[in-house]
Amino acid sequence: MTARDEILGRVRQGVGKDGFAQRKAAAQALLAARERGPQPVLAGDLAKRFRAKAESLSSTVDTVPDRRAAPAAVARYIAAQNLRPEIVMTPDVADLAWGGNGLQGVARAAVDADRIGVTACFCAVAETGTLMLLSAPDSPATVSLLPETHIALVDTSRIVATMEDAFALLRAERGEIPRAINFVSGPSRTGDIEQTIVLGAHGPCRVHLILIGTPS
Amino acid sequence: MTAAAKHSQAMHFQARAGEKVRNPVLQRALQKAKPLFVGKRAKGIAALADDALDFETLRSACESIRNRTLADLDVWLDIFEERATATGAEVLWARDGEEVGRLVVDIARRHGVTKATKSKSMLSEEAHLNEALAEAGIRPVETDLGEYIVQLAGETPSHIIAPAIHKTLEEVEALFAAEHGRPVETRTSADIPDLTREAREVLRQHFLTAEMGISGANFLIAESGTAALVTNEGNGRMVTTLPKVHVVVTGIEKIVPTLEDFATLMRLLPRSATGQSISNYVSLLTGTKREGDCDGPEKTVFILVDNGRANLLGSAYQDMLRCIRCGACMNHCPVYFSLGGHAYGWVYPGPMGSVLTPLYTGIENALDLPHASTGCNQCGSVCPVRIPLPRLMHRLREEQVERGLRPWSERFMLKAWAWLAGRPALYRWMMRRAVRYLNWLADDSGRIRIFGLAPGWSAGRDLPVAAGRTFNELYKARKRA
Repeated sequence: MTARDEILGRVRQGVGKDGFAQRKAAAQALLAARERGPQPVLAGDLAKRFRAKAESLSSTVDTVPDRRAAPAAVARYIAAQNLRPEIVMTPDVADLAWGGNGLQGVARAAVDADRIGVTACFCAVAETGTLMLLSAPDSPATVSLLPETHIALVDTSRIVATMEDAFALLRAERGEIPRAINFVSGPSRTGDIEQTIVLGAHGPCRVHLILIGTPS
Repeated sequence: MTAAAKHSQAMHFQARAGEKVRNPVLQRALQKAKPLFVGKRAKGIAALADDALDFETLRSACESIRNRTLADLDVWLDIFEERATATGAEVLWARDGEEVGRLVVDIARRHGVTKATKSKSMLSEEAHLNEALAEAGIRPVETDLGEYIVQLAGETPSHIIAPAIHKTLEEVEALFAAEHGRPVETRTSADIPDLTREAREVLRQHFLTAEMGISGANFLIAESGTAALVTNEGNGRMVTTLPKVHVVVTGIEKIVPTLEDFATLMRLLPRSATGQSISNYVSLLTGTKREGDCDGPEKTVFILVDNGRANLLGSAYQDMLRCIRCGACMNHCPVYFSLGGHAYGWVYPGPMGSVLTPLYTGIENALDLPHASTGCNQCGSVCPVRIPLPRLMHRLREEQVERGLRPWSERFMLKAWAWLAGRPALYRWMMRRAVRYLNWLADDSGRIRIFGLAPGWSAGRDLPVAAGRTFNELYKARKRA
C-alpha cells in the first residue's frame, strides 16, 4: 500500500464517517461561502490607522500628494539616510521619473549587492499596518527582500481595513492567486539572542513607506 | 518501539529535571525570558479590545475552524492535494519521520542538491531530517537565528518559537567565533545587534548558494493549495524564494479551509506567541514560479506527514490536533520555566509536549511527562484554540493506570486507599491518627519541615500544620455548638 493510501485510510477510520462524496460537496460549498470570522471595528480613517500601526512596527512614513511626486520623496529619504542613490525597483514603478531626481535606478529582480529596493504594493492593510505584495513578472519578490532598505509606494486609495478585505480585492482584480503573497509589516526582526529585539535579521533593516494621495 | 521513540529522552525526565533545576546559567536565562513572554502576550491580547475584538469570541472562532477541518480531515486532505497539484506543486505523503528523510534526500539527489537552507520546522525535528540529509552528503543549514545557534551547538531547540532561549550571550559568542573563524571577544548585550549582523552575513551566502529550501507550514490552505509561513526574520521568505527547489514538510492536521479562516487564525497566532498583532512576514506560497516570473522556485513539493497524527483522530486526544504551535502553553507554564525545554526529552516541551510526546512516541516511553504539571490550567486558559491541556494530561495518567504502567508501590498505595475508603469507620479512625501525627510533627513555627513518609516531596517544601482534628470531628463539634 502506498503511504498516501495508508495515511488516508487511517484518517478515514479516525474520522469515522461515510458518504465521502457528499461530505466533499459540503466542504466545497463551505469554500465557496468564504465566511468571515469576528471582524475588527477600526476607529477613524484607514490611512491614519495604517500609518500609526506601520510606525509602531518601526517603519518610517512620508506622504506625497500624487504618484509623480514619489521619486523626489525617495531621493529625499536616501539623502537623509546618507545612502548611495542607487536603487533596484520592481518594473511596475519603472515608469516614474527616477533619473530626474538624481537617482540611478534599474528595474529587475534584486541581487545581493543591491542596497535599496523600491516597490509598489498590491494593497495595504490598515488593521495591522501591513503591505500586501504579490509576486509577478512586474513585481519580483526579491526587491522587497534582499536589499537592506525597502521603500514602498502605498496608494492611499488602496488601503483596506483587514486581511479579509485584501483577499477579496485580490479575488476581484486578479482572479488567480500568485506564487507568493507576502504580507510585510516593518523591518525584519529577531529576538533569538537573549530575547533582545534587533531590527534587520535576514530581510530589510529599514522599511520606508511613501503614502500617495494624502495631503502632506 | 517506534522510530520517534528511539530518539526520545522523555524517560529520563526526572533525572534531567534535577540537573536543569541546579543549572544556574539556565535558570538565569529562564527567569529573564518568562516575564517578557507573559507580558507581551497579555499586552497583545488586551489590545484586541481597541478594535472591538474579544479574545473569547475569537478563540471560539479559531477552535471551530480547527474542529471543522479535523471532523472531515480525509475530505480536506483530498481537496488540498487536488488544488495544490493543480497549481503545479507535487504532493507526497510520509508515514513517519524516516520516510520524510528518504523523500527529501531523494528529491535532493534528483535535483543535484548539495546544500539545503531550512526555515524553522518542528516536524523536521520529529523526523531528524538534518541527520538524514547529512548522512546523504547534503548540508542542512538552519537559518532561523535561534535554530542556527542551536545547530552550531549540536543541540536541539528548547522552545518551539525561541529555540535558543537556553543560550546565553557568552555561549553564542563562543559558537559564532568558532564557526566564523575569528577570536572570541568579550561581549555585552549592546553587542547583540553586531552578532545578529554577523549571522546575517554568513547566512546570506548560504541563502544565495543553496539549491534547496526546506520549510514547514504554519497552515495549509485547502481553498488554494497554499502553504502559509509566518516569520519575523525573513528567513522563511529567503528559503522559499531563492533556491530552485522548495520542499514543505508539514503535518496532515495543519489544514484550514479558506483564506478567511487563515485571517481569523492570524488574529490570535502571533498575539499568543509573541504578543505581536502580526508577524513581520506572512507568506502565502502557492505552486511554482509562474510564466514570466523572474524569481521563485521551479519545483515545489509538499510532504504531508502522519507520524502518529491520524491515530489521534476519533480518540480521547483529538483536541490536541487543533494545536497551532504558538507556544503560549509553555510560555505560561511554571514547570516549563523551572526546567527549560530540554528536560522534556523530545521535540515539543511544556504542556504541549507533555501531551504530544507520549502520544507520538508511546505512552510507555514518556511516563513522567503527563505528571509534569501543577494542574494550574494556565496553559488551558491561554490556548488560542482552547485545548484542554490539563484534562488531556489527566487522561494520559488514567491510561497509564489502566495499562498497568505505574510503579508497583503506587499501584499498591492506590489499592490500599480504595480498600480503606470503602470502610468509613476504619477510615475515620485512621484519619484521626494521621492528623494527630501531622500535628505532632510540626515545629514551633507551625510548619512541618520533615515529612517522614515522603522525604522526596518534603525536601523542597514545608507543609503548614493542620488543625490537629479531622474535618468530621470539627464538623460534629460545630453542630453541637
